[in-house]
Amino acid sequence: MDQTTTEIPPKIFTCQLCGLSSPFVYYGQKPPNTRAIVLLEECFVTKDPFSPEKEKFLVLGSTCSLCSLCVCVASDCSLFYTKRFCMRCVNKHLDQFPHQIQAELAKKKQQSSKAAVS
Amino acid sequence: MDSHRRTWDWDSSQCRAQMDQVFFREQDYIQAGSPDHKEFWAFFDRFQRFKTKKDMSGVAKEDRGDGTDRKKAKVDLGLPKEYDARYRINVSVCSRDIEERLGKSEHRGRQRSSGPGPQEISDCRLALLHFLDFTQRQSFGKLAKLRREQKNLPIFQYRDRIVELVRTHPVVVVAGDTGCGKSTQVPQYLLSAGFSYISCTQPRRIACISLAKRVSFESLNQYGSKVGYQIRFETSRTTSTKLLFLTEGLLLRQIQQDKTLSQYQVVIVDEVHERHLHCDFLLGVLRSLLAERQDLRLILMSATINIKLFSDYFGSAPVLQVPGRLFPIQVVYQPIPPDEQPSRSEKLDPRPYLRILQGIDQRYPPEERGDLLLFLSGMTEISTIQEACQVYATHTRRWIVLPLHSTLSIAQQDKVFDIAPPGVRKCIISTNIAETSVTIDGVRFVVDSGKVKEMSFDPKAKMQRLQEFWISRASSEQRKGRAGRTGPGVCYRLYAESDYDAFAPYPVPEIHRVALDSLILQMKSMCLGDPLSFIFIDPPPASSIQTAVTYLKEQGALDSRGELTSIGSLLAQLPVDVVIGKMLVLGSLFHLVEPVLTVAAALSVQSPFLRSTQHNPDCTTARQPLHSNQGDPFTLLNTFNAWVEVKGERGGGSRKWCRRRGLEEQRLYEMVNLRRQFKDLLRSHSLLESEGGSSAPSAGDRGQRRERLTERRRLHQMKRDHELQEGGKRKVLRLEEGGDGGLSSGSDTEDKSRGRKDKDRQNMDIQEVKFKLRHNVSQLQEAVTVSQDLSSRQQALLKLLLCRGLYPQLALPDEHNSTRKDSEQVFHTKNKQGVVIHPTSVFASDPEVLHVPEDDGGEMGSDKRDSSRHQLLAFVTLLETNKPYLSNCVRVPALQALLLVANSMDTNADCTRLVVDGWLELELRDPSEALRVLSTALKLRAEWERLLLAQLGQSGAAEPAAAEQAVSRRATEKLSEGLVRFLLYTEVSYSLRRLTALQTQNLYVGPQAESESSSSETPDLSVLFPGAQAKPDPIKGGLRVTSFFTYNCLMDSKDLYSECLRTFWSCPNCDLYMPLTPLERMHHEASCRPAGEQQESQDGAESEKASSSSSSSMSSLTRVYHCDVCNEDLKLTSTEILKHKRQHMYTAK
Repeated sequence: MDQTTTEIPPKIFTCQLCGLSSPFVYYGQKPPNTRAIVLLEECFVTKDPFSPEKEKFLVLGSTCSLCSLCVCVASDCSLFYTKRFCMRCVNKHLDQFPHQIQAELAKKKQQSSKAAVS
Repeated sequence: MDSHRRTWDWDSSQCRAQMDQVFFREQDYIQAGSPDHKEFWAFFDRFQRFKTKKDMSGVAKEDRGDGTDRKKAKVDLGLPKEYDARYRINVSVCSRDIEERLGKSEHRGRQRSSGPGPQEISDCRLALLHFLDFTQRQSFGKLAKLRREQKNLPIFQYRDRIVELVRTHPVVVVAGDTGCGKSTQVPQYLLSAGFSYISCTQPRRIACISLAKRVSFESLNQYGSKVGYQIRFETSRTTSTKLLFLTEGLLLRQIQQDKTLSQYQVVIVDEVHERHLHCDFLLGVLRSLLAERQDLRLILMSATINIKLFSDYFGSAPVLQVPGRLFPIQVVYQPIPPDEQPSRSEKLDPRPYLRILQGIDQRYPPEERGDLLLFLSGMTEISTIQEACQVYATHTRRWIVLPLHSTLSIAQQDKVFDIAPPGVRKCIISTNIAETSVTIDGVRFVVDSGKVKEMSFDPKAKMQRLQEFWISRASSEQRKGRAGRTGPGVCYRLYAESDYDAFAPYPVPEIHRVALDSLILQMKSMCLGDPLSFIFIDPPPASSIQTAVTYLKEQGALDSRGELTSIGSLLAQLPVDVVIGKMLVLGSLFHLVEPVLTVAAALSVQSPFLRSTQHNPDCTTARQPLHSNQGDPFTLLNTFNAWVEVKGERGGGSRKWCRRRGLEEQRLYEMVNLRRQFKDLLRSHSLLESEGGSSAPSAGDRGQRRERLTERRRLHQMKRDHELQEGGKRKVLRLEEGGDGGLSSGSDTEDKSRGRKDKDRQNMDIQEVKFKLRHNVSQLQEAVTVSQDLSSRQQALLKLLLCRGLYPQLALPDEHNSTRKDSEQVFHTKNKQGVVIHPTSVFASDPEVLHVPEDDGGEMGSDKRDSSRHQLLAFVTLLETNKPYLSNCVRVPALQALLLVANSMDTNADCTRLVVDGWLELELRDPSEALRVLSTALKLRAEWERLLLAQLGQSGAAEPAAAEQAVSRRATEKLSEGLVRFLLYTEVSYSLRRLTALQTQNLYVGPQAESESSSSETPDLSVLFPGAQAKPDPIKGGLRVTSFFTYNCLMDSKDLYSECLRTFWSCPNCDLYMPLTPLERMHHEASCRPAGEQQESQDGAESEKASSSSSSSMSSLTRVYHCDVCNEDLKLTSTEILKHKRQHMYTAK
């Protein structure tokens, strides 16, 4: 262990809604070594830590297309529908989303409130 | 188009292969043949089914689709009007190949009439996008769950505070109870705060591995080596490792190599409250290291036990206390009623324990899960209670009874982690192993007997003792806590609350209980100064340190001033007991390395022979060919050799071989690893020639090497695969599975269950894989062949080496043993009388081999029996449980072994009476024979010592090539020849007995006025033992000839002046024929060698100098000789003159 070669601390992505944070290695639409794959938004990307293969990537989050809030991809924090929306903006403009999404969100809300009760 | 549809079949492998050509090429993100690829097609099938289902039911819903955009929002998000699940995926896949096939299908369509059309390509792409999205969600879900769990740990809110404290203080104490997350989180906090080169010590090897695994997973470095572990035989450390979990002992070894521990920036010492010997010592070493390394950060982690002690030891270091996460536990005191209290000799009464089982069955419905953990003091207690509980369990069918202690096979130990079927509870009956070392989830009930068996060392009897004690309050709480890990629990204490209050607050730290030999040796080699003045956190008693120092001096590891000898510094580096280390060094001298390596390794691990199979007749029969009546080390040697042979022939089949013989194969794997480590250590000290030429693969054989390389790669892959699978689901136990567990042989139980068998196979494979990765089987077989068929000569020599290693651990068979039953054979050691042989020893079943043969006895009836076949036992351990037991014994011829290894030998004037180490008396009838034997022994010892020192001296030398010559092969061969002849062909009749206390009091003549005059007549003895001068012994009287031999100091009925009596004697080597005193004769014999041998003698210079300096002592054999070179008059014997001359010849060259 050579002490002189201290690495630059990794860049950290932090979700501004839930606080989840994790180091990321790339920000953009074309993560390295992903070949034919293109991301449809600018994302915070890291190596998939749960895959033994080096080249598998994992998208951590991106910025909300409306308010530019930095959000993770967890369904509680954001939603992708042709663009990334943070949950705050989704709720604000819920009426513009197709009913499938509205129904889904309503169902989830119901479930989570149920979970909170029990 | 229609024709396409007809020819395209998603289920056909050809069609899929065509699709692979488009999407899963070599250069794509997912390649055909990879696990992901396989998963994709499985996903594809699910996806298609889902789509078909949706297509059928989804039409109705579409109608409402347009209704949403009626309400005009302030901001137009520009979302597509029609919902499509695809819009929710933030990934796209496009390559020219795909585009072409999609866009220009009409041009190409004809050429590829049978290939996939645009519709298929589009379908497949859509599925791929969904698959990618699915895998992203899956991985992110894992990450989110991980972060959530980390956040929920009690320690999480102290994260910043911990980092801050470590930044600002050299030493920080983090105290937190079970479940607070300190062991996994603190290292990560420091890692992400920018610290690197962090080491974290653990008291147990297994914890190092599991923590490294967990922490690397949590720090998202599962497949990297940022987080690693290092234990005795295994490491996952690489240059990129930033956080290393290692054992306390290993960190100490690293300090031995690297005084300032410059390789680490942070040292975390975990579980300091357990107060292991190594840990206490490590704290002391680190404490003094802090002064030198201002930049070093030290973090102590502890349960909330005695925190002040640690803080104070490090100058009031700041303490951060973290609450644990424990569910409420109800404590029930149920003291055992007097009539059920076991008396000392009786078995434990199971009634109090059964009542608790019954109580649980009555009070708690079986569908409420929760297992029971019962703490008892030892194995005997466990089997008593287990038997009783099993009867109850068989009757009620609501319990599975499982024992848990360290001598069980690994497979049986593992069972406690399996799950009981619904409606059935596990009843785990354990020693205190489950208090800290083994953590079992799902325990709801704890029964605490309040007792523990602890090892202590009795310095007076030089004996380890395993005694039962009341536990401490800290242990009691720890046991209780085991009931509240997964939910609220109950703890039944089989003692009164007043008992609890009377318990000691903490357990006695190990440093106060055990022999400190190895510790002191290590301290010496680390140059830590006087062990008595070293500042321990809780200093051991001075007497205990003193005992260890004395012992190390006896063993030759320390010299008379308490400094490390050359053998001592080598022993300090061997991670084994001093006695075992000595064997290794001795073995290296005589080219008996292979068997000695095996024996040393075998004696350093737990016995591979499973206790539970001891009474299994099949196992006993199968083991029979392995037994050696020379002693247990030889049985172990045979066992190991046979195992290696099976390994070579049948590979993984060795598992079955072991099972049939009631052997725990894990121990054999440990042995082979340890053996390898010993070999490397000897090699690195040039005590062993490095493996050159013969064993290395020949350079020309490239094919073979490549084959081996491919094989290794395959094995590595298997190991990795196994590691990925590990931690899989637990097996469900079957009701019948308890019961026979510990009582009958493990093999039967395991064969019965198919599930178990599969698990075994998997285990076996990985052990076999690791074995093959680490060892070259054919090389090992070669090594084993060397030690397999030892000739009786080699065997005799090996026994002597073991005996010298084990000395002074010797036992004398009681003289009346031949008239006693096999089970009542008694032995005596110097410090402890009436010890017995452990039932596992070969001598317990075959004690006759230790008896003096009947026909050999001279004067029958008298208590002194003359024989040339007296034997002693050299033993590895003396441990008192219910009786003092000797284990791992080897038998040796008494007279020869004592003369060759004893530290103190005292004789009378004509050397017919010999007292060894002040407790064994040997009497020889014939004075001339006595003299001959003694003189031979002294000569052999001198030569042995000389060669050993030369061998050790060279081990410091840098160049092994030069070193190899220092001890010539011929010299060692000659010596071993001499030793063997002495051991096997000394046919001298003698009696052997233990001195009584009264006799030892009046043993020596003490300093005498006459000795003055007699010494002037004694010949100079320094030739016999270079460097030593015979002088009157100030305490014993007589003449101290060497450090271990004092002549004529015994109080004897015979004439005190017999030392001056000369008898005529003719030397077999030269023409000398004259009257000589016993000493003069010995002296002459030592220096007069057959003509042929003279050239080889090398000890000229030193002995000559010694003899010339002490020329005042005149002897009838010396004469004045004038040396022309020195221009001096010297008083020398004829042989000395020759030597002197030769010395000048050497120097002239």
